[in-house]
Amino acid sequence: MSDTAVIHEQAAVPQPAQHGRPGGMLRHTSIITGTVAGLVLAVITYAIGSHYFVPWGEQNADFSQVGLDALVAATYVAWVIGFMAGIGAFAGPIRWALGHDLTHADAEYMAGRGQGKWRYWKYTTDHKVVGFQYLIMAMVLLGLGGFLAMLIRTELGVTWAEVFDPNFYNSLIGTHGIVMVIAMIIVVAGPLGNFIVPIMIGARDMAFPRLNALSFWLLFAAVPPLVSNLLLGGMRDGWTVYQPLGNQAPVGMIGYQVCIIVFAFSTGIASVNLITTIVTMRARGMTWNRVPIFAFGILGSSIMGLVWFPMFQYSQILALSDKVIASSFYIPQMGGSVWLYENLFWLLGHPEVYVIVIPATAALLELMTVFLRKPLFSYKIAVAGIAGVVGISSVVWVHHMYMTGWAPAAGYPFMLSTELISIPFGFLVLVMLGTIWRGKVWTRLPMMCVYAVIWCKIIGGITGVYLSDVPVDQYMHGSMFVVAHFHFMLMGAGLFAAMGAIAYWFPKMTGRILNERIGSIGFWTAFFGFQLTFGSMFIAGLQGMPRRVLQFDNAFNISNWASTIGAYIIGIGMLVFLYAVIHSWRNGQPSGSNPWGSKSLEWQTETPVPLENFPVLPVVTSDPYDYGVPDPYDEIERELTDEGAESTVGAR
Amino acid sequence: MSTVDDRPMADADGPEEPTNRPEVTHRLREWLSRPYARHIIVMTAVFTLLVLPAAWLVIHFMNLTGAPASAIMSEIEKTMFVFTMVSAPLMAVTLAVIIYSLIGWGRVTGDEPPMQASPAIRGNAIGTGLWIGVTSVLAAFLVVWGLVELATITSLSYGSTPANQQPNSARPIDINVTGQQWVWSFEYPDNGRITSDQLVVPIDVPLYFNVTSLDVVHSFWVVELGIKIDANPGAITNTGVTPNKLGTYSIRCAELCGLHHAYMETTITVVTQEQYDAWLREHGGKRTV
Repeated sequence: MSDTAVIHEQAAVPQPAQHGRPGGMLRHTSIITGTVAGLVLAVITYAIGSHYFVPWGEQNADFSQVGLDALVAATYVAWVIGFMAGIGAFAGPIRWALGHDLTHADAEYMAGRGQGKWRYWKYTTDHKVVGFQYLIMAMVLLGLGGFLAMLIRTELGVTWAEVFDPNFYNSLIGTHGIVMVIAMIIVVAGPLGNFIVPIMIGARDMAFPRLNALSFWLLFAAVPPLVSNLLLGGMRDGWTVYQPLGNQAPVGMIGYQVCIIVFAFSTGIASVNLITTIVTMRARGMTWNRVPIFAFGILGSSIMGLVWFPMFQYSQILALSDKVIASSFYIPQMGGSVWLYENLFWLLGHPEVYVIVIPATAALLELMTVFLRKPLFSYKIAVAGIAGVVGISSVVWVHHMYMTGWAPAAGYPFMLSTELISIPFGFLVLVMLGTIWRGKVWTRLPMMCVYAVIWCKIIGGITGVYLSDVPVDQYMHGSMFVVAHFHFMLMGAGLFAAMGAIAYWFPKMTGRILNERIGSIGFWTAFFGFQLTFGSMFIAGLQGMPRRVLQFDNAFNISNWASTIGAYIIGIGMLVFLYAVIHSWRNGQPSGSNPWGSKSLEWQTETPVPLENFPVLPVVTSDPYDYGVPDPYDEIERELTDEGAESTVGAR
Repeated sequence: MSTVDDRPMADADGPEEPTNRPEVTHRLREWLSRPYARHIIVMTAVFTLLVLPAAWLVIHFMNLTGAPASAIMSEIEKTMFVFTMVSAPLMAVTLAVIIYSLIGWGRVTGDEPPMQASPAIRGNAIGTGLWIGVTSVLAAFLVVWGLVELATITSLSYGSTPANQQPNSARPIDINVTGQQWVWSFEYPDNGRITSDQLVVPIDVPLYFNVTSLDVVHSFWVVELGIKIDANPGAITNTGVTPNKLGTYSIRCAELCGLHHAYMETTITVVTQEQYDAWLREHGGKRTV
C-alpha cells in the first residue's frame, strides 16, 4: 500500500448543456417533501378507495369488511410511491425522458456538494452519505427491535399473569423478528458496505450512485408500513408468517407484506450495486488476491441477497394476492399448498442468516490483522470459506422443514448439505484462530469484540450441528432451543461483530475515536447479559418449552426468569454502548486519518473523507496485510536444517 | 530462543552422512518444544475435561419431565450425548487458543498503534491441512451418525422394529390426530371411532398417527416420546412411536398457530394394556385386536 502513483487527469469530455441550476428538481426535494407527498397520496388513495370502491357495511364470511384488505394495500403502496416521488427518486428518469442528461454540476449537486448537514436528509448519491443514512436507520431499527424484545421478555418473565393480550404479544414477536432481521441485514452491509468498501477498493463512489440512494430510500419507505402494523391489529404470526395463518390476520399483516416486497427491491438494488462496484471499480493493481477480505465478505453477502431475496418477495406477493384478491396459492381448502409458502420463505430464510453473518465475520477478519499486527492467516482459505458458504447456503433450506411432513425423505440429503456447510464455516474459524496465533494483541475495543464473537460462534455452531440432525431436530424444532441457537448466531456472531466493526471504522466515518471505556462497559455488559439470557433459554428448550408462547408450564419458570433478567442487562449494556456512540460522535477525541496504523486503503485517505475519496486514485502493489516481522522460529528452522547450516556452524 | 541451545547439534545425531532432510518427526518435536504449544495442548486437554460434563447435563435437562418414554427419545438423547462429546475437543481447542492469546503471547495497550512485533505468518500448510482434515472427518462422522440415526428412528416411527427389539405381536394402533385452533382431538378408528381430547395409549404397543389440521399449520409434539410432525390443512402426515414407559406426558403445539397457541396442549397417558382396555370400555369403544 505504500507505493502510489499519480494518475493524470483525464482529458475533458464534452458535457451536456446545463438546464437551469445544477440539481434541477432535486433542489426542492427532501425527506420532508417525500413524507408529505407520501402521506398525501396515501390519504387520497384511501379516501377515493373507501368512497368509491369499498362497499361499506358488506361483510366477508369471517365478518371482516369486504375490500378493506385491498384498500389498505393500495394505501400502503400509495405511501411508498408518493414518498419516492416526493423525495425525488423519479427525477432521474423524468430528466432522462425529457432528454436532459446530468451535467457534472448536476452530479456534484446530487452527491451533496455544498449542502452541509442537510444532505443527509435528501436523495443524495454520495456513498458516504448513504452509509451514514444506513447507519442511523440500522440503529433506529435495532433500538426498536430491542425495545420489543424487552416487552417480550417482560411477558415471559411475568410467569403468573398475561401482561399483553395474545394478539398484541404475537404481533410483538413477529415485529421484533422481522425488524431485527432487516436491521441485521443492513447493519454491516449498509453503513460499512456503502461507506467503507468503495474507499477500501480505491473507487471514487459506488458503481451506480443514484441506485445507491434509491436502495436506501426504498428501505426508508418500507419501514413505516411494517411498524404501523402494531396499530392496525398487528402481524400476529411470527416473522415467518406461515400461511394460511397469515391470511387470518388483521390488516396489519399487509404492512408486513408491503414492507417485505419493497425491502426486497431495496436489497436487490443494493446488492447489484455492491457487486458491480467490487467487481469492476477496484483500484489499479488490486488483483483478486489483493482485495481486502471485507470486500469479499460484502461480495458474498450481496450475491446471496441478490439471488435469494426474490424468493422472499415472491412468497409475500403471493400471500398478498391471497389476502387481497382471494387467490389460493397457500389456501388448502381452495387447492393451494402450505408447503409452497414454506419452501419459498426458507429459500431466502436460510441464506439470510449468512447474508448477516458473512460480512460481519469478514469485517472482524479485516480488523484483526490491524490489532494483531499480523497478516491474515491463509487468505485463500478465507476466500474459499466465504465462497463455500455462499455456494452451499443455497441448498440447505429444507432443514427448516424437516418436521413439516412435506418430504420426510428429504431429511437425508439436506442433513448432508447442512452439516457440510460447517466445513467452509470452519475455514473462517481457522483463519480467525490462525491470525490470533502467536500474535501480540493490541487490546482495543474492536479487537475484544473478536474474542466475544468467537465464543458465540462456538456455541452457535455446535448447537447448529445438533439442529441440523433430523432426529435431534425432531425434539428441538419449534422449541426455545432453536431461539437460543439463532440468537447466538445472529446476535452473538452478527450484532457483536457489527459493533466491533463499527467501533473500528468509527474514526474513519466520524473523525473521532469511539470512547473506549464507556463503549467497553456497554459491550461487555451486553455480552454477559446475552450469555445469561440465551444460556438459560437453551435449558428451557432442552426441557421442551415451545417458542412463541406467552404462558407455559411452571417447569420453565426459573430459566425464563433468568432469561428476562439477562435481557434487561443486555438492554442496559446496549444503551450504554449507544451513549458511547452518540457521545463520541458529538465530542469524542479526534482521531486523525489513520488512528489504528492500518495499511488498508480506506485509512490512507484523509478524514473526513473528501467528496470523491482520493485526490488521485491509488495504485495497489500488495494486499493490505503486510504486517509483522519475520518469524523467529522460521529462522531457527532454517539454521537447523538446510540453507543456513554451514553459516550457523561458522557463526558458533 | 533457548530451544536452540537445548537440542543436540543436527549433525551429531548418528553416524550417517548429514543430509539436508530433517527426520520425519523433527518438525513435530521442534514444535512440541515450543512453550506455547505445550501450554495450548495442556489447556485443550483441561478444557475438554471441563466441557465433557455438558453431555450429561444436556441429557439431565431433557429428562427432567420423565423422558425418555420411547426408544425414539432414547436415540435422540444418545445423539445429543455423542454430538456433545465430539464437539467438546473442538470447543476446547478454540477456547484454549483465544484464552492463551490474551495471556500467553503478550498484550499491548495504549493509544498508539504498536510496533510490529508479531510474526508474519501468512499460512501454514500443515496446520491448515490438519484443521480441514479433522473438521471434515468430524463432519463426515456426524453426517454418517445422523443418517443412520434417521433411518433408525424412521423405522421405529413406522413400527417395523418394536421398541424393545423383541418380536412384537401387538398390532399397531391407528390414531387420527386433528389440530384446530386451539385444541387437539384424537380419534381411535380401530376401536369404534371413539374420540378424546386426551391421549390414552397402552405401553409397548406401536402407535401410528395420521395427523391433519382443520385450519392452519399446527405441529403435533409429544415431548417425552420425542416425536413431532406438522399438522397441515389439506394433507395427512404420519408419524409413529412405541411408548415404553408408564406415565403422563405432554403434547404441545410446536408451530405458532394463532392467538392461543400457548394453550394448545394436552396430555398423553401411557397405561398398561388392562387399563387401556378398561378406558376403551368406559368410553364406549371396543377392543379389536
